[in-house]
Amino acid sequence: MNIYETPLPGIGVRYEFQAEGGDHVGVVVRRDGKRDIALYDREDPDSCKGTVELSEGDASKVAELLGGTNITARLDTLSHMVEGLSIEWVTMPAVGGLTDKTIGDGRIRTETSASVVAVIRGDDGIPGPEPDFTLRAGDTVLVMGGADAVRSATSILTG
Amino acid sequence: MLAIALPLEVLPEPETSHAGAVLIELGIILLVLAALGRVAARLGIPSIPLYLLAGLVMGDGGFIPVSAGEEFLEVGAEIGVVLLLLLLGLEYSPEDLRNGLKSNWAAGLLDGVANAVPGFAVGLMLGWSPTAALLLAGVTYISSSGIIARLLDDFDRVANRETPVLLSLLVMEDIVMAVFLPIVAVLLVGASLVQGAIAAGVALGIVALAFVISMRFSHHVSRLVHSRSRELLLLGVLGLTFLVAGLADAVQVSAAVGAFLLGLTLSGQVADDVRTLLPPLRDVFGGLFFVFFGLMIDPRDLIPVLLPALALALVTAVTKIYTGMWAAKRNGIGPKGQWRTGLSLVPRGEFSIVIAGLGVAAGAESQLGPFTAAYVLILAVTGSLLMRFANKIPPPGTWWGASTSPARAPSPGATPSRVTGRAQRDAST
Repeated sequence: MNIYETPLPGIGVRYEFQAEGGDHVGVVVRRDGKRDIALYDREDPDSCKGTVELSEGDASKVAELLGGTNITARLDTLSHMVEGLSIEWVTMPAVGGLTDKTIGDGRIRTETSASVVAVIRGDDGIPGPEPDFTLRAGDTVLVMGGADAVRSATSILTG
Repeated sequence: MLAIALPLEVLPEPETSHAGAVLIELGIILLVLAALGRVAARLGIPSIPLYLLAGLVMGDGGFIPVSAGEEFLEVGAEIGVVLLLLLLGLEYSPEDLRNGLKSNWAAGLLDGVANAVPGFAVGLMLGWSPTAALLLAGVTYISSSGIIARLLDDFDRVANRETPVLLSLLVMEDIVMAVFLPIVAVLLVGASLVQGAIAAGVALGIVALAFVISMRFSHHVSRLVHSRSRELLLLGVLGLTFLVAGLADAVQVSAAVGAFLLGLTLSGQVADDVRTLLPPLRDVFGGLFFVFFGLMIDPRDLIPVLLPALALALVTAVTKIYTGMWAAKRNGIGPKGQWRTGLSLVPRGEFSIVIAGLGVAAGAESQLGPFTAAYVLILAVTGSLLMRFANKIPPPGTWWGASTSPARAPSPGATPSRVTGRAQRDAST
């Protein structure tokens, strides 16, 4: 199944695909997180028969109903236990902790056995940052490991 | 019309202070706007034309004299323009602009030629100066992205496959306006041709520089004004906006363009916060701007320009429809979708008035104000109605008994879309 992606300037992004039954389905993801689901008219394939507007909460509910992946929902909650594995999103403070220092400075892996998996800065995701990567205030750091390890890694990061 | 004929002159003079008189007038004006907004919502038309009408019936030659509050209105109108353009800039990410310029430039060119030339020609025919004619060309060229975006939402057409074509044309028009306004601002000062060329070059250089800055350093500027407190964010953003707009005005780039470029520059979290915070403020001051524009016009001046405005409205409605149909056809949209795209480009609104307002403020042409008011009144209302009934109005192909060709299977590859990497994702295990 191919999903086509079209930017809608000033609104968001539209995804569309053709279902196996032949129906055309579109999903508009707006910048404010709202989503519209649209069914296209068979007579006039450019126009929608109707749209359903979903809030972010509605959308994740519908995704659950449709048997969507639970992983994304789990990552949305701030931390979740997956059989001895803990995941934490840590926002770097304005000052203190490892802000304006490198990841290597914190010696997180050595001290806690937890690992820094990725850093999110603004709209960019930086997977697998090197030890000489410098953290900045406002960065979001994704830490993974055992529950205790992640806790102590968090306190190293935020000071 | 609402008969709030309340001549403030009958109030005993010593009893109301100046501040009191200003507040009373402003209160009446805002209440009139509130009432008109309700009427517009009931009729399903945008409120801009009604606000213009409100301005026309007030002031000179109207029924409700406005005297004390005029000074505040003038400042409020200026703030309204700046906020309108700031939020327009915020609507677009630099990526949107790049995509908009890349995808449909041929349609954008047709849009410019087909819709600006009639305005320019009519301006010259009426015996206006070339500068005033150029302003009218801008008025007839720019569709109202505000009205169109709102109506697309209201009529549930955001997900339609022709919508990206429509939006990319609107983006391009807004970029052209950012270049057009400084040139006009320089011409209005009445510089000689050489001086004008140099000043326009400087202005364009500043605009280009601002574009580069907005693409490169946007997160620095955004971090400068970002705050978790709504109060501090609002103060920071408004302060920066007014400062940039004022400086832009001082170097002849026009305040509106300064605000637009700042809007492009703000990004990320700040942009999201401002987009939720500022619209109510923009709507109030924007309303004042439309009223003020109407206020500057004596309704008796509308009568002589009514016929040419009507003729020009008709011509530029047809050229817009043709432009939209041509652009949609090139993107593989079917006949009905082409028709919808064309009809949706007809509404003119806030930016036509912003362009004309520049000329009116500079005293370029006495007829420009009334002409633009009549033109926008006609096209804002009819354009909205055309959009609303786009599916009920038969496309031109069916007028001569020919049936519409059967809809083709859509070819999404023709629109500027790409297959996402998530195309082949398995269901959760």
